[in-house]
Amino acid sequence: METISGTLHDKLRDIVGEAGILPETQIAAYTFDNCVPKAVVLPASVREMQDVLRFAAAQHLSVMPAGAGTKLGIGNLPQKVDMVLSTTRLNSVVEYEPADLTVTVEAGIRLAALQAELTKHRQFLPLNPPYADRCTLGGVVATNASGSLRLRHGTARNQVLGMHVVHANGNVVKSGGKVVKNVAGYDLNKLYIGAFGTLGIITEITLKLAPVPIQQVILTTQFQNIQEAVDTGLSIVRSQALPMFTNLFINSRSNLRPNATCISEKTPTLVVGFGGDTETVRWQRNHVQTIMEQNGGTSVTIREGESCQSLQDAMRKFPEVNGTSDDRIIAKVNLKRTDIAEFAQKAITPALQGLIPKIPEETGEMMALLGSGVLYLAIPIASVTDFQPLADTLTQLRQRAMAAQGNLIIEAAPPELKRHIDVWGSVGSMRGLMKQVKAKFDADSLLNPGRFVSSI
Amino acid sequence: MHQKEQLIAELSTLLGPKNVLTDATALAVYECDAAPSFKALPDVVVFADTAQQVSDIVKLANKYNAPFIARGGGTGLSGGMLSVQGGIIIALNRMDRILEIDLENERAVVEPGVVNLLLTQAVQNQGYHYAPDPSSQKACTIGGNIAENSGGPHTLKYGVTSDHVLGLEVVLPDGEIIEFGGTVEETPGYDLRGVLIGSEGTFGIVTKAVVRLTRNPQAYQTALAVFETMDDASNAVSTIIGEGIIPAALEMMDSLVIRALEEAFQFGFPLDAEAILIVELDGIEAGMQNQTDRILEIFKQYTAREVSYAKDEAERQQIWKARKSAFGSFGRLAPNYITQDGVVPRTRLPKVLRRIAEISEKYQIPIANVFHAGDGNIHPIVLFNERDADQCERVEHVNMEILSVCAEVGGTITGEHGIGVEKMDYMPLIFSRADLQVMATVKDIFNPTGLCNPGKIFPTAESYAKLGLQPDTTGRF
Ligand SMILES: Cc1cc2nc3c(=O)[nH]c(=O)nc-3n(C[C@H](O)[C@H](O)[C@H](O)COP(=O)(O)OP(=O)(O)OC[C@H]3O[C@@H](n4cnc5c(N)ncnc54)[C@H](O)[C@@H]3O)c2cc1C
Repeated sequence: METISGTLHDKLRDIVGEAGILPETQIAAYTFDNCVPKAVVLPASVREMQDVLRFAAAQHLSVMPAGAGTKLGIGNLPQKVDMVLSTTRLNSVVEYEPADLTVTVEAGIRLAALQAELTKHRQFLPLNPPYADRCTLGGVVATNASGSLRLRHGTARNQVLGMHVVHANGNVVKSGGKVVKNVAGYDLNKLYIGAFGTLGIITEITLKLAPVPIQQVILTTQFQNIQEAVDTGLSIVRSQALPMFTNLFINSRSNLRPNATCISEKTPTLVVGFGGDTETVRWQRNHVQTIMEQNGGTSVTIREGESCQSLQDAMRKFPEVNGTSDDRIIAKVNLKRTDIAEFAQKAITPALQGLIPKIPEETGEMMALLGSGVLYLAIPIASVTDFQPLADTLTQLRQRAMAAQGNLIIEAAPPELKRHIDVWGSVGSMRGLMKQVKAKFDADSLLNPGRFVSSI
Repeated sequence: MHQKEQLIAELSTLLGPKNVLTDATALAVYECDAAPSFKALPDVVVFADTAQQVSDIVKLANKYNAPFIARGGGTGLSGGMLSVQGGIIIALNRMDRILEIDLENERAVVEPGVVNLLLTQAVQNQGYHYAPDPSSQKACTIGGNIAENSGGPHTLKYGVTSDHVLGLEVVLPDGEIIEFGGTVEETPGYDLRGVLIGSEGTFGIVTKAVVRLTRNPQAYQTALAVFETMDDASNAVSTIIGEGIIPAALEMMDSLVIRALEEAFQFGFPLDAEAILIVELDGIEAGMQNQTDRILEIFKQYTAREVSYAKDEAERQQIWKARKSAFGSFGRLAPNYITQDGVVPRTRLPKVLRRIAEISEKYQIPIANVFHAGDGNIHPIVLFNERDADQCERVEHVNMEILSVCAEVGGTITGEHGIGVEKMDYMPLIFSRADLQVMATVKDIFNPTGLCNPGKIFPTAESYAKLGLQPDTTGRF
């Protein structure tokens, strides 16, 4: 390649045109970990995407793949931030045949826009990650983001059928296909899902869909203590009812209101939702209400219709943080479901007591997706100046989770904390293979360098 | 393979002579799987009992530069366990212990040689089952299921093997024992667990798996409908799915299969029917009848001639017995058969089935169909006599044309049986060289010497020639 003259922006403009470069005034939306990218590039075609990547490779510029930028904060501190490459202009529905119950879209489509299209045919993509209205599908898949619906429908790993990915060298490759079953060759979809853009940029995705349930109902109830709440939730998961989600809220506060006043601040609140046709839902409502009441649940409330949606939307926001304000840390603890109660009470509560300056009584706000064994922990950090003690506490909690065959991942944190702790934790004996995968796919470490596990 | 005698001697020292087979007649049992058109004789078969033994065997194989291949139940349909370059077959049937059952967390930890159905039987009294249910479930193993990412009739609602496996212990091709995934639903880093599942035994040997157990549904409703034409039956299938009804299973059998089943087992199906659909709903009893009624209407719309319900569990089992016996009856139709395994978008089923009938007609090779219709996963059974060279040649064309049709309509060439040796020639129908190159890159990471199950999955220069394509002179393909 010839030597580069002129500024980075001029060169990029040659590839993607004026419309393909985000004006400097808007770059703030794509800053993360206090890093401001030199450019935010928005290719209008896969070809442009390839050209930008080839240009970046020739110039040894690092590339942060992005959708709308809602989850850029996830990951360790970057080694190098040159440009953000966003898929948001690749946002069309490529193929949708409702009777096949599958859809193919470009990765930059907003999840909300896709859902709106699918709803017209009474179908939906059963993924409800946070940042509902802004996130792109590519971002959701790249981060394997999920929400409470994973209890019934799993995550992107269970729903993606195929994709197109542009590698760091600019090559476009295909993995999987467009049909609901496919074992031809290796299942490389799995490699890209949850790789946080470190292996390539996803440009097209084919997914399985689900029919929208005719009716939905949500029951909420409160318990004296966490153990009772968890046990009840798990009895419901294992009962003949087929809940869409079984969420437990502990020390619940601020950001769920005003849509979720049924969720108590003082007592653990169990929220169980199900869907189906009228009779199925009615049977489940009665069955679940009985289980709740027999197990000591009080003030059972029942929601139907519109109010179900607003509560679901509110719960979905739980792991969100407000852009760069970094007002809270979010940790995601993956556990066996039977370990959740003990972990919340015996590990988290004592570990946090007295830890946060000015609010010594703070023991963390928690949302558990009970059936899936996921416990989200939110810790307010506005008053924290020294992050070392908090990092030490999180390390202890991580060790405890690992001793119980689980793990703890920090999903949102300010750079001050990330200086003291690896947000991912150990990948054990898989480390060597993961490093090799990265080295083969992105030899010069251009894609999101340093942000993933094991300094990948 | 050099120094075969020394290798065998070392294997005998390691495992004891009774766990090492070298006798020609004993080896013959291991020369093929359930796709007997492909055969290859291993040099030696060994029985392993622990992960450590597997690791030791693999290290010996490396020392002698011998290929090695895991074998579970030997029910594979793509020649996956064939020792095409000779070497060691590592039989895992003795590693058949269920190590842990944790119903509270709906998990089990099993060894790879556990037979699929035995896992379900171990938990069914407590109201659970292992959801992936290949029709071969009486004989296939969890290890084989993981290698092939197997499905089954109930995959339509419950997903494939990959959706039910959380963690793996694997002996890598260099002998190292490594754990992937875990007991919990997510672990940090790349999903190498997901990449290993479906890698057809080319990334290492699975020695332990953490799998999900699934609560038995409260109720089932199983019905069998008889149609005048394949078109009607397949239109009924895509209408059901299109309406947002997801049955637990939705299976189709055509007239040839019905005839073979009747001759072999006398289930009492009408011999003049063109197609039978088996539909099973499961879940909550309340409201199920509404869905059944709706399905009935759809059946009527497509002029189903008769519909019968299973009135009790015994009748339900009888229907499933018919479906699962289908493969056992093909011997009546022809001396040999090949089971194809394409998948097409469900809305394309009528068109694709018509094309298959035309192909059968064109080459005068009978084709029976029994398949997972709800998933669009067709199983054309290509019937022939391997002693007839002319038929064999026509069968080659038939296979190629069927898979080309699947590729053309946006489908794939295998939905659950794997590529193995059987379909490697057809990989270029659906993957570009660049796509295959990426797969090869990943294979080289796991299996750099290529000794672990060689000669599978990837097309060769001859494959390209067969498809009338230029082989790539610079790259690997
Ligand atoms: C009548 C009949 C019906 C069938 N129906 C279905 C069906 O409905 N759905 C479906 O998906 N399949 C079906 N099959 C195909 C077959 O049963 C599956 O592919 C099954 O998973 C193979 O399991 P196995 O234990 O017999 O494996 P094998 O045939 O022994 O081996 C298959 C492959 O797995 C590898 N392997 C085995 N064990 C291990 C291990 N521990 N670690 C790594 N690799 C390993 C082998 O090397 C080989 O490549 C059917 C087969 C028959 C004969």
